[in-house]
Amino acid sequence: MLQPYFQAMNDSWVAKAISESLWIYPLDQAIHLVFLALFAGAILILDIRLLGMGMREQSVSKVARDAWPWMLVGLLGLVATGIPQLIQNAMREYYSEFFWIKMYVLPVALIYTLTVRRMVSQAEEGRVNPGMQKIVGLVSILLWFGGVAIPSRLIGLFT
Amino acid sequence: MSEFLASIQSVVQMVQDSETSTALRESQYVWSLFEVAHVVSMCLFAGLIVMMDLRLLGVGNMQTPFSQLQKRLFPWQMLGMTMSAITGGVLVFGDPMRFYANIFFWMKMTLMVIAALNALAFHYISYFSVDTWDSKKVPPFGAKLAGALGILLWGFVIVSGRLIPYNWFQNN
Repeated sequence: MLQPYFQAMNDSWVAKAISESLWIYPLDQAIHLVFLALFAGAILILDIRLLGMGMREQSVSKVARDAWPWMLVGLLGLVATGIPQLIQNAMREYYSEFFWIKMYVLPVALIYTLTVRRMVSQAEEGRVNPGMQKIVGLVSILLWFGGVAIPSRLIGLFT
Repeated sequence: MSEFLASIQSVVQMVQDSETSTALRESQYVWSLFEVAHVVSMCLFAGLIVMMDLRLLGVGNMQTPFSQLQKRLFPWQMLGMTMSAITGGVLVFGDPMRFYANIFFWMKMTLMVIAALNALAFHYISYFSVDTWDSKKVPPFGAKLAGALGILLWGFVIVSGRLIPYNWFQNN
């Protein structure tokens, strides 16, 4: 159903421009990874805290508030550097099962992070029991790493 | 000098030709498992290093005193570092000639050494006086410098690592 759109991306002048340059695509991939580190750090600092480990002396809500803007910067950077890779490789992505796993889980992880995880982590202290916090942190790690990051790496390894 | 390099190269070649190395390189699943694990450990290590460096710069995680952040993140950073080193070591073992002849690999190794020296220098210079600036909104110059260098150096470690597959400068 989406194949014509992917084909159009594949044949677009953007894809052509990227593939004509020796440096743009590799640098884009590299910067994507740098933003991944920032994003993962901002996600993990809170998820580890939600699991009852890491920065235990600090309240969950303060860790959450401090990590929030950096999570957004990381996310924006990942999207901005991810789209050119998709355009450049559109047909490869279209035929990659791992790409589709990533694309299905990504919106779920995003909505979960912006709603459930955000509400639970910014709630007043004592309102959410530690067991619930642990589940919320664990689900976040599973979605972002199991559902998004790992399948992403597998796209290039299995084509 | 060239004799010395030749003898190193023959050792690298010996590892390359060994049964285990060859098996690792030729097994798509085992190789991919280590590639994936290396990225995940990088996320844990570099991610939490960046969180700490942002605090040093005075721009992130400012509600937590630096020493507390450092103490609580340290074990996770070390876990990430150990996992990165093991998975990275296995990947090098699985295809040593490729890394030996790759400029980006050596760039990455060099940058890692410099990043480690930066961390050590910070530990012995600015961290020594942490009590005087632990909760301050503006950390001292030395701390900011260490934070900025940390982000830059580890950022370039990641970039050079990602560029290893592009062996533009290989002349053989």
